[in-house]
Amino acid sequence: MLLNGVRTAALARSKGTDKDETGCSMTVSLRESVQLVSDPRNLDASVEEVFQLMLGVACTRDGCPTIQEAESVTAVVGFGGLLSGACVFRSGASTALRVAALMTGMEFATIDDTVKDAIGEIGNMLAGAWKGKLPELAANCGLSIPAVITGRDYNLHVQAPEFQLHHMYRFEDQCFEVTIICDGLQ
Amino acid sequence: MLDDLRVFFVGNTQALGRSADKRCEEIGMREIHTLIVDDSSVMRKIVERSLRQAGLDPLVVHEAGSGTEGIEVLRTQPVDLILSDINMPSMDGLEFLRQIRAQNLAPGVPVVMITTESSEEHVKQAILSGAQGYIRKPFTAEQVKERVLPLLNAAVA
Repeated sequence: MLLNGVRTAALARSKGTDKDETGCSMTVSLRESVQLVSDPRNLDASVEEVFQLMLGVACTRDGCPTIQEAESVTAVVGFGGLLSGACVFRSGASTALRVAALMTGMEFATIDDTVKDAIGEIGNMLAGAWKGKLPELAANCGLSIPAVITGRDYNLHVQAPEFQLHHMYRFEDQCFEVTIICDGLQ
Repeated sequence: MLDDLRVFFVGNTQALGRSADKRCEEIGMREIHTLIVDDSSVMRKIVERSLRQAGLDPLVVHEAGSGTEGIEVLRTQPVDLILSDINMPSMDGLEFLRQIRAQNLAPGVPVVMITTESSEEHVKQAILSGAQGYIRKPFTAEQVKERVLPLLNAAVA
């Protein structure tokens, strides 16, 4: 339900960019480049870039355990256009608080609107940086406005994606996960 | 077009023949009223902090959470610089640009887009809509300095 919503929004946003100067519809295809699109190194590079530039911390792909904290924060940014799907950032509450603190220079005790805003923006930049690694994707894939979910004991389930990248990362002593879900590739 | 894009991205810092620090001192002589348009309040604060790190001080910041709010600010407040996101609800950054040009709300005021969108197509759209600069998120304070100060200096000269 949620993914359908963000995907629809992203698709609407991509419509402004999928036409050439004569107004013709796009003829670009990524179907032949699925290995390039799903290259896990692009996601690692995007995560490292965003965390280094916006938080000033080195971030590495690591064998972090699955997020164990009961309360977690998830940011979902939908893709629409040549690729449909979503970029999902998920962390425990303590990591979300640390991310927001590094971004803003302020300390937070609870997951308030500013923390949710910060995590949504991280999701937005991760999605943008990832699609920016491939020019065809950068030009022909739109992003939705981030949706942020907070709460306890929930799972995100996507049925039979085209491909999925699911990586755990670490900075300082904090862990988080980033998932790229592709459920359609033109 | 490619030359235009190159200048657009690097900010043409050599064109004025003065160092960025020197320009910073000159611009810093008076208050710079800046409109920052982004649906994320956190990003607005980060952009403001980057401008201050770039030496824009005294800086007076006016914030807007959408293009619609940005238009309202410009109707009542003259500004020296506009920085705007592209992907926003209500009115996106490109439509905001078209509206301020169509309504002549900020004549001669440099507009810099700060966005996750980075394709040549998006840059072209931004130029056609009236932007003079483009910064891709994530960004550094140094990038903000390199791309904003020359535009601002040219506008206030």
